[in-house]
Amino acid sequence: MNSLLSLSNDLASAVEHAARAIVTVNARPRLPSTGVHWRPGIVVTADHTVRTDEEVTITRPDGRTAPAALAGRDPGTDLAVLRITDADLPLADVADPAALKVGQMVLALGYGPRASWGVVSALGGRWRTWRGGEIDQLVRLDLTLYPGFSGGPLIDVAGRVVGISTSGLSRQHELAIPASTVTRVAAELCESGRVSRGFLGVGLHAVRLPEAARRSTTGGSEIGLIVVSLEPDGPAARAGLLLGDVLVAIDGQPVTGADDLQATVASRRAGSALAATVLRGGTPVDIAITLGERPSRRR
Amino acid sequence: MSAGDDAARPIPHRLDRTLADVADRLQRVTVQIRGPYGAMGSGVIWAAAGLILTNAHVVRGPSAVVLSTGQRFDARLLARDPEADLAALAIGAGGLPAAVTGDARALRAGEIVLAVGHPLGIDSAVTAGVVHAAPRGPARFIESDLALLPGNSGGPLADARGRVVGINAMISGGLALAVPEHRVARFLGALRDRMATPA
Repeated sequence: MNSLLSLSNDLASAVEHAARAIVTVNARPRLPSTGVHWRPGIVVTADHTVRTDEEVTITRPDGRTAPAALAGRDPGTDLAVLRITDADLPLADVADPAALKVGQMVLALGYGPRASWGVVSALGGRWRTWRGGEIDQLVRLDLTLYPGFSGGPLIDVAGRVVGISTSGLSRQHELAIPASTVTRVAAELCESGRVSRGFLGVGLHAVRLPEAARRSTTGGSEIGLIVVSLEPDGPAARAGLLLGDVLVAIDGQPVTGADDLQATVASRRAGSALAATVLRGGTPVDIAITLGERPSRRR
Repeated sequence: MSAGDDAARPIPHRLDRTLADVADRLQRVTVQIRGPYGAMGSGVIWAAAGLILTNAHVVRGPSAVVLSTGQRFDARLLARDPEADLAALAIGAGGLPAAVTGDARALRAGEIVLAVGHPLGIDSAVTAGVVHAAPRGPARFIESDLALLPGNSGGPLADARGRVVGINAMISGGLALAVPEHRVARFLGALRDRMATPA
């Protein structure tokens, strides 16, 4: 058998293997999306494709449709989990999350199954989505994610699931959420229905610190974050932060920018403590803040 | 080179070479269709005696066929079916390298497919991709994730063995759509019946 033919057969077998654990997710008008049977009774899909919180159904590969209950959703990572009662649906074969390589051949799948072929075009480190979720690894693909592919598996040539592809996290690039992030978020969603993200309730603006102020802070940071708005009765307001305070350090670490601070805060759970150092009238003041829960936005 | 040598090579080399071999064979069965104003699209040598298959939308008037060797022949239109988007042309040449056909109904999702054509006037471009979805029932088209361009129309879609499974016809929603070989066979069957019937 020629090697092109054997690769072709491997790819087709990989699709067949992975397709057993793929379902059609009927949770928005007109265009269904794709879901993966990730762990027993739990289907993972892309959050942005789940519009209706009621009457979500899944369609199995054999064409049977069954009701599914939305167990939790995390717009931050664009993941949602559905609970199904279907005991005999095969489970996805999830691959070692660390195994991805640039140039590796992969297939993105949609319900049907439908296939799209390409390679991993770039890998990066941990990153934060525009919706605030934390993803373990940036996985960029050179393949086409066709309509309805969101929530479907990205598979390797052996048919193992290496991630979930979605068009909901980037307009420029085709991306996949690596399997490790899916497993982590799915576990948290199954447990509590949402991913807890810390919240301060302040509006901050970066300012250059005057020389004198720099000397009085630990670490000698050059910038501070001035409090320009305070959420009434928010976590920062309750802790005693005032308008005009200049935040210079968090847990003894100098602040580097509003985005970085936002990332630090969001990566902690609600209820956790944070030691803030602010300059108030030029004098450093330590304030202990208990993080609140990030209010959910209207969908 | 013996089979033993081949087996000893690292796999990527063998894959590369097979791909090049298959592409080369496909290029030889692919022709360019030219109209009065230049290149119109591509075509496939369906029979060694000078039978060329292409899309109906490629043939819109008097046309000529340019082989991969560069030889040019005036073509005679045998039949044209806009519904199936197929056309058959005859050229005055024999002993041509003809396409070997495969089985479009046996295609699996994820299987590798290759297309050859003359997109945007580029000489014989090869494009690789996979079957998007397995054909179900009397499917009109084979869907694949190939990035085809205008000018690929009428050219062959082949499987990993290099067997022609369809005639590339259009691009829709980022997918390449090809008329399956069994529809080509049906079209040619109707053509033969008509030619056998005395006028």
